[in-house]
Amino acid sequence: MKFTSHLFIFVTIFSGFWLDSLIAEFNIRSYILALESFPYLVETSLGFLILCYWIYAIPEKIQSSAAFFYGLLIDLCFGSAIGFNMLFFSGISYVIHVYVFRFRIFSYLQLIIFFAGSSTFYVACKYLIFSPENYSYLLLLCSFLINALLWLPIYFCMRSLRRSFL
Amino acid sequence: MARTTPIHTPALKYILACLVSTALLFSDVSYQAFSPLRDSVQAIGIYSQLFFETITSRLLEYSSAYEDQRTLTRLNNQLRDELQEIDDKLFLEEQSHLITNDIINLQDRLQILGDPGEGKVLKIASFSLQDYLCCSQHILHLQNPLQFPILIHQPVAVDETFIGQTSKTYLNLIEITLFSDTSHVLPVKIDGLHCNARGAGKPRLVRCIVAGEFKMSDIQEASLVMTSGLGGVFPKGVIIGKVLSISAISINEFRVDIALDGNPLDHNYFGILSGS
Repeated sequence: MKFTSHLFIFVTIFSGFWLDSLIAEFNIRSYILALESFPYLVETSLGFLILCYWIYAIPEKIQSSAAFFYGLLIDLCFGSAIGFNMLFFSGISYVIHVYVFRFRIFSYLQLIIFFAGSSTFYVACKYLIFSPENYSYLLLLCSFLINALLWLPIYFCMRSLRRSFL
Repeated sequence: MARTTPIHTPALKYILACLVSTALLFSDVSYQAFSPLRDSVQAIGIYSQLFFETITSRLLEYSSAYEDQRTLTRLNNQLRDELQEIDDKLFLEEQSHLITNDIINLQDRLQILGDPGEGKVLKIASFSLQDYLCCSQHILHLQNPLQFPILIHQPVAVDETFIGQTSKTYLNLIEITLFSDTSHVLPVKIDGLHCNARGAGKPRLVRCIVAGEFKMSDIQEASLVMTSGLGGVFPKGVIIGKVLSISAISINEFRVDIALDGNPLDHNYFGILSGS
């Protein structure tokens, strides 16, 4: 694959993580007083879902090395511990590569469940490693629902971009 | 969708990648091994953000300064236009005042020149400057928009002297034949000498041909030339110019060149005596 294609894919993943950070910074509880006592439950994984889409859509082009370097760059750019995104990007890349034929015959609902579950696992590991005191199953449940809702828009949006530019 | 889907995924690379990632993660989480690198990258990011913010703020400052300058320029132009308008109004008022004064003065002078009070002050319509400067025909047209009943052969005055007489009236125009027109003859009196001054075809110049008992020595240069009133058109005793030069034509004849006082080029309004 050309360097520009890799750059394009990385830009979409980077944009996803950037949106994640924006959403995380936007604390709705400071705007609505009624929600002030509620715990923070909004945890999106747009960047991770976008990476999943690209591996799912073009597995022959995104191999382990590509996922590894995407993870390294994301770790560097967003200030997370070096290795975290590398590990999960490589892991999810392997899983998707192994089950890519099965995913092709999956329905949208099954895809939603799988990728929402993957992203929830990603979120859970992130909280367990970096912020275990804020870890909660309610957060994971909300994250699962949010990521499930996000998968189809990401899927169609990225497919449109892939057909236009790659 | 992918055209060629991998049918075999070698696990070794992924295992290796995962091991390296795990090792890196462990070393970073436990020992902060990559903290300087991460901090450097974050510092670069923050620096870039600050840099772009500075550039953006400066651009906005320049833009606002440019906008202020544009506003000031627009205001300046507006004020300049207003000032110009005020100047124009003042000028027009001044000119209007001057014209009114001219007309009043001219009417007063018409009365001095013998007008019984029916004299009209009319504005110039056209003047053939080319003919006036070169040729024999010296004609001036005045406007008569209100169609005053102006007779022909009426004296036309400017300042305190005459410059010609009405020769035709048609439509709203009045034709004035100037003294300097070669077809015009004006009876004048110079130091007791009566002669008929004919237009010379040159601006402000008429000539008398004198013959008989008068001698050239009887007339002095710069002597005043007055109307004699013998033509029945102009009242007598009005100064119209001065003797410019005297020159002999033959033994018994000499020519007197008279420079006229009235200059039609200096005026826009002309008075026409009536009833004289």
